[in-house]
Amino acid sequence: MAVTELPAGGEIAFEMPPDTAAIKPPRVTPTRVFSNLTLVFFGVLFLAPLIWLLFSAVDSQASQTLEWPHLTFSNFTRAASAANIAAMKNSALISVIATAVATIPATLGGYAFSRHHIPLKGPLLLGILMLAGVPMSILIVPIYQVFAGHNWLALIPASVFLGVTSLPFELWIVKNFIDAVPVDLEESARLERAGTWQILTRIVVPLALPGIGAAAIFGFINAWGNFLVPLVLIVDPTQQPSPVAMYGFFGGNVIRWGEIAAYSIMYSVPVLILYLALGRLFRGGFVLSGAIRG
Amino acid sequence: MSISDSLQAAPVSAVAGAAESPSGPRLDRARFSWASIPLLLPAIGLLIALFVGPVIYSFYLGFTNLELIGPTSQHYSLTGLTNLTRLIHDAVFQKSLYLTAFFVLGSAVIGATLVGLILAMAMQNALGAARAIVGGMVIVCFVLPPVVVALAWYAAATSHGAYTALFADPKGDFLAAAPMIVVSAANAWNLTGLAMILFAAALRNIPGEILESARMENASAVQRFFRITLPLLRPTLVTTILLMTLLALANFTVVYIMTAGGPGTSTMILPVYSYQQAFQFDNLGYGALVGDAMVILATVLSFVYVRLSRGRGDR
Repeated sequence: MAVTELPAGGEIAFEMPPDTAAIKPPRVTPTRVFSNLTLVFFGVLFLAPLIWLLFSAVDSQASQTLEWPHLTFSNFTRAASAANIAAMKNSALISVIATAVATIPATLGGYAFSRHHIPLKGPLLLGILMLAGVPMSILIVPIYQVFAGHNWLALIPASVFLGVTSLPFELWIVKNFIDAVPVDLEESARLERAGTWQILTRIVVPLALPGIGAAAIFGFINAWGNFLVPLVLIVDPTQQPSPVAMYGFFGGNVIRWGEIAAYSIMYSVPVLILYLALGRLFRGGFVLSGAIRG
Repeated sequence: MSISDSLQAAPVSAVAGAAESPSGPRLDRARFSWASIPLLLPAIGLLIALFVGPVIYSFYLGFTNLELIGPTSQHYSLTGLTNLTRLIHDAVFQKSLYLTAFFVLGSAVIGATLVGLILAMAMQNALGAARAIVGGMVIVCFVLPPVVVALAWYAAATSHGAYTALFADPKGDFLAAAPMIVVSAANAWNLTGLAMILFAAALRNIPGEILESARMENASAVQRFFRITLPLLRPTLVTTILLMTLLALANFTVVYIMTAGGPGTSTMILPVYSYQQAFQFDNLGYGALVGDAMVILATVLSFVYVRLSRGRGDR
């Protein structure tokens, strides 16, 4: 037992602990072991289809069995055939149109819902958010009927419809984001006699860009991955996007798994990149430094 | 005349040097501004024309004898309650309702939510490497386009696939043997990532002090979970379950590509049934009616979800 000595003589009445190094919590506890094991267990369970995709894409003798690949890139070169690339271009076109159709009205409407006084705003917002939960499959029959009657069973009308299905949720995202932007900047702009359009383009949109970007990415990913709408609403095979093209590979007598896997990966890469961008947007937020005094 | 009298008699603006009293509407109360109209018109207009309108039209079409091809594709008419009677007596429709309930409960409520919660809790105490790898992988599963999910699972669950080898006779067809289970598992696999993210965020919001003081009172891990963590997670639990339910209800692509409702009618969930009736059997009117049943179901769930999530936020 160490006893400290006071310079002025005499000893203090209590005893110091034997060693005063920091007490670290044990590294290996039952909870941590269990947690890691649980993660590994589920990880392995979830892994199979993903690994199969990766392996088959580079396997010259790809099949359904999960086996070590005979490495080759020929699947990718064959998957990048003219027809498949055309399908991906259609996918891109559909997604861009749908995103524009969804995001621009969502931004304008979200700003109005956030900043302006609108009669019945509460019920209106509730109604719009409820629309976001309505599945697309129920709209497909009446829309088909209407579009067929006007000879609109083609890529552009289908893209517009696809955009509208993302519109409710995008409006909600933008509105919530603009809610979080302080009103002071707009108020001072009003005092400087700025018109609504000027306020929108010069102040609100640049500040709300992360939220608008998140909404746009959401809409794009929805449109890129959508299968039912192009299946029903586009009759011309040359205008079909990638999901429908991939479904076509399924029907053949001999399913070339390697090619399908390679094409799937090529088709999924944009979505993965966009989700990474989305994560960065949410974590980044926005900076107002200096714009608001006090 | 005193000064006060003259001041009382004359209006403010007549006093020399005073400013003009402001005219116009009051600025201290929020008022409707005409600038709102062009801002709202695109969104509201599009939603009414291509969303709300079609839903209403679908209810109308559900009571007609509209067909995809043939004479009644051009000249269809209201048929009263014929379609509705057919729906009530339709054994496949009733089976479809059960299958949809199983699918939604199994894959969304139990599958995705439970596994998401387990993963989120496990991630709190795990090594950084395990957290990054497994967490990242589960999120990739959520992010993949539906067609790719269907494809990868089809390959993994039919003859010689990875899951078939694990859970059934490797040369057999797991998908054909237990179609609802495989399809529900595929959907749960897809949705778990979102549940995990939501729960991880909610768990981060639980103050560490509460759990720490519980630990100091010698509460076991199980007690800490059921008495502290779970009650604090309840709002997130409810909204996540509802969100998963809505997402599962909307699922058409994965089920249709994997099984097209089959074998027979074993995976004929409502969206697939509606599509089949409308576009494969050409009964557009009847398909619309099946869709209407889905609208009612989805609207009720949507309403409950919005109420619960907004009620939680407006505190």
